Amino acid sequence: MDTKTIRGKAAIIGAGISPLGKVPGKSPLWLAAQATKEALADAGLVKGDIDGILSGHSFASPFHRFSIALSEYIGITPTFANNYQVSGATAATMFNTAAAALECGLAKNILIVGGDSMLSGLNPELAMRAMTESRDQQYEMPFGIPAANTFAMTAHRHMKDYGTTPEQLAKVAVIQRNNAIKTPGAQMTAPITIEDVLSSKMVTSPYHKLDCSLISDGGVAFIMTSADRAKDSKSKPLYILGGGECYTHEHLFLAPSIVSTGAVQSSKNAYKMAGVTPDDIDFAGVYDCFTGTVIMMLEDLGFCKKGEGGPFVEAGEIELGGKIPINTHGGLLSHCHPGIPGSLLHFYEAVKQLRGRANQQQVKGAELALVHSLGAGFATHATTIIGTDVTL
Amino acid sequence: MSSLQQAHLKPMPMPDADSAELWKGLKEGKLFLQHCQDCNHIQYYHQAICRECLGENLVEKEASGRGLVYSYSVVYRAPGPAFKDDTPYAVVLVELEEGPRMISSMVDVAAEDVGFDMKVEMVVEPVNDEISLPRFRPISR
Repeated sequence: MDTKTIRGKAAIIGAGISPLGKVPGKSPLWLAAQATKEALADAGLVKGDIDGILSGHSFASPFHRFSIALSEYIGITPTFANNYQVSGATAATMFNTAAAALECGLAKNILIVGGDSMLSGLNPELAMRAMTESRDQQYEMPFGIPAANTFAMTAHRHMKDYGTTPEQLAKVAVIQRNNAIKTPGAQMTAPITIEDVLSSKMVTSPYHKLDCSLISDGGVAFIMTSADRAKDSKSKPLYILGGGECYTHEHLFLAPSIVSTGAVQSSKNAYKMAGVTPDDIDFAGVYDCFTGTVIMMLEDLGFCKKGEGGPFVEAGEIELGGKIPINTHGGLLSHCHPGIPGSLLHFYEAVKQLRGRANQQQVKGAELALVHSLGAGFATHATTIIGTDVTL
Repeated sequence: MSSLQQAHLKPMPMPDADSAELWKGLKEGKLFLQHCQDCNHIQYYHQAICRECLGENLVEKEASGRGLVYSYSVVYRAPGPAFKDDTPYAVVLVELEEGPRMISSMVDVAAEDVGFDMKVEMVVEPVNDEISLPRFRPISR
């Protein structure tokens, strides 16, 4: 049996965010740098302690090497670096890879970071086009596929196969708006109803405007170190217990299935490595680019049976006090969605929950969290399971 | 990333070493699928090796061009200025009779009238000297 694992080998010791939402006049590098400063202070480290850096892509500052550009911007000379690009799944891949790199001695303290100004740094028409250009130029883009469309077609088929309703989709948006209202700094804070979602403009069926996530500015950063060094950390270390990834296709028309995704395998690998089951998870950060995405992921991550995501949401199981509270900060739908850093905000919320600092949104006794990142019309999936010291 | 000026132009396929034959066929109004002579796999789109067995013994056969709408989405908010005048339009995931699926969009039908399992057939839409796009219309009886 192969016993190699990252379970308990590395920990998150610092977390930071920049101003979020609409942040005009600030570059993606500035946003990333602000988050980095806050994460360093949180970890009780200085910039010279960082010897590794992993970043995601920035649409508004499309450096080929964002991690290297940021290193220059903040004046560090790392000896381990990369810029990962698996779309929305990038966030979790950075945590999983950082844990492995720390365990194998490639670095001592790794900065995981993303920053983008999708809202203020890009003309709205260019932002739409930029996201569309991640689709293939020959077989998808010529037909006018919005980023939303690949997700819309999967949700649509899910509705046909399992009877998932527009009201159930809308309920996801309503729950997450309620969470955002209780989160300081959230971009959207006006209460909404299921009726509001259903009467908002149709963007690409079955998705109305309020079924779609936001466009925002923001930077998010974390410091990770080895479990040994984490013991002396200023903050409460949170350990990486398991990681998994799965990539099923590049073009949506070659997906093995559009109603069951690579999240099944990605999370299965993460659960196995962590030695836990979906029932053990106290809090989940679930990638929520669209409402239907959440419903499908609740199934594929094992929180409910296939096809039962809609009724599961309807029964309040993803709210505080439910079977699995998710996205207690409001998520990409209502809190903030600055592109690639968006899924890092799910990790930021997981850190808050596991430190017991989520205030009125606190999941009581939260010790074990799962974050699932995904992207590119369900082409890319990555899962990370994180726990406090009692879960080791 | 494109400039604002480019964003007003529709993206055009640029045939490459793998796909040149596919686009050549479409220019003549024919949809070709690749049939693997070693493992019987049938694939869309064109590439130099079989996606299943990695063999290179691929034969082109013209497809019927008929299929069913496996899923769809009607686009009301265009992905950038180039598609604004087309809305609403229906993007479809078509399952061809031969098995492979492909992404396209519908013509000759109101976007709102497109539905699951609708029987469709391919029509080609010439867009420039080199490229004709494969699009679909309902099969009328």
